[in-house]
Amino acid sequence: MPSLNEQANLSLKRTVIVAIFAAVAVVLSLIEASIPVNMGVPGAKLGLANIMVLTCLYFLRGRDALMVVILKTLLSSFMLGTFSSLLFSISGALLSFLAMWGLLSFGRENFSMISVSIVGGISHNVGQLGAAAVYLKTTKIMSYLPVLLIAGVLTGIAVGLAVRYLIPSLSKLSLFEGFLTKPV
Amino acid sequence: MKRGDIVLIGLVVVIAAAFLVPRWFGDSPSENNHNTQRIAKITVDGKLFRTVELTGEEQEIEINTEHGYNLLKVHDYGIEMIDADCPDKVCLTFGFIERNGGTIVCLPHKLLVEIEGAPSEGDDIDAIVK
Repeated sequence: MPSLNEQANLSLKRTVIVAIFAAVAVVLSLIEASIPVNMGVPGAKLGLANIMVLTCLYFLRGRDALMVVILKTLLSSFMLGTFSSLLFSISGALLSFLAMWGLLSFGRENFSMISVSIVGGISHNVGQLGAAAVYLKTTKIMSYLPVLLIAGVLTGIAVGLAVRYLIPSLSKLSLFEGFLTKPV
Repeated sequence: MKRGDIVLIGLVVVIAAAFLVPRWFGDSPSENNHNTQRIAKITVDGKLFRTVELTGEEQEIEINTEHGYNLLKVHDYGIEMIDADCPDKVCLTFGFIERNGGTIVCLPHKLLVEIEGAPSEGDDIDAIVK
């Protein structure tokens, strides 16, 4: 049974980690927006910010990762986009979070972080396209989904690999000591 | 990588391929050779804005709505978005489209361009730009 002091310490650490991760995620979004990576698929992005969300899901609880998702989406939309782009990114981000959280809670034995990241990338695209279909009042743009699925797999693998290298490195930091209960 | 990863990747690729492959084989051979008339439907905010016949001649179509400004260019039996004042410019990256079902989307301006075969009656075209 951890003492009261230890618990307060842990929750303070959690807040600090959420803040740092959200800040890094926003910076990654900004960097991504400034390098034009044209993958031949309009609207497809690398999704570098997802690295932070995934790492947070791994170390902390679901609600902490949800906090990172909301903070990152709001902040990067304020800096980069308009109100309508906020609508799309928040629906993509929330669906993506739910899918990743679900897969990580129920499929941890069978799936590695690469799968979680792929599922996150794809559901982000599905969420955005769904919001766009409602916004444009047409279902025609759904024909665009297969290409986005392929793009989601490729970027998902890249992000998943990055997370696989990031987690062991962060595990060595003293800040993350209290959160290393799960097997790698 | 665990086994689940490979299964998942395989599954997604197969699903995507199931949609993509028929599209590649479906519409290319006859239409491009016989020059079937095709039209581009331009929709703004869910309402039809204009229908344009896709011809070999070059022509530019300016779209000014309350949502913003876009410039489309018709040439070589296809259509392309060449300018827009939207913040993200994603619509410009769609490039030149010429096949049936090809789309250009400009989300911030609620604009959708899609290519269709010309209607067989031929009389429900709203405007033909010469």
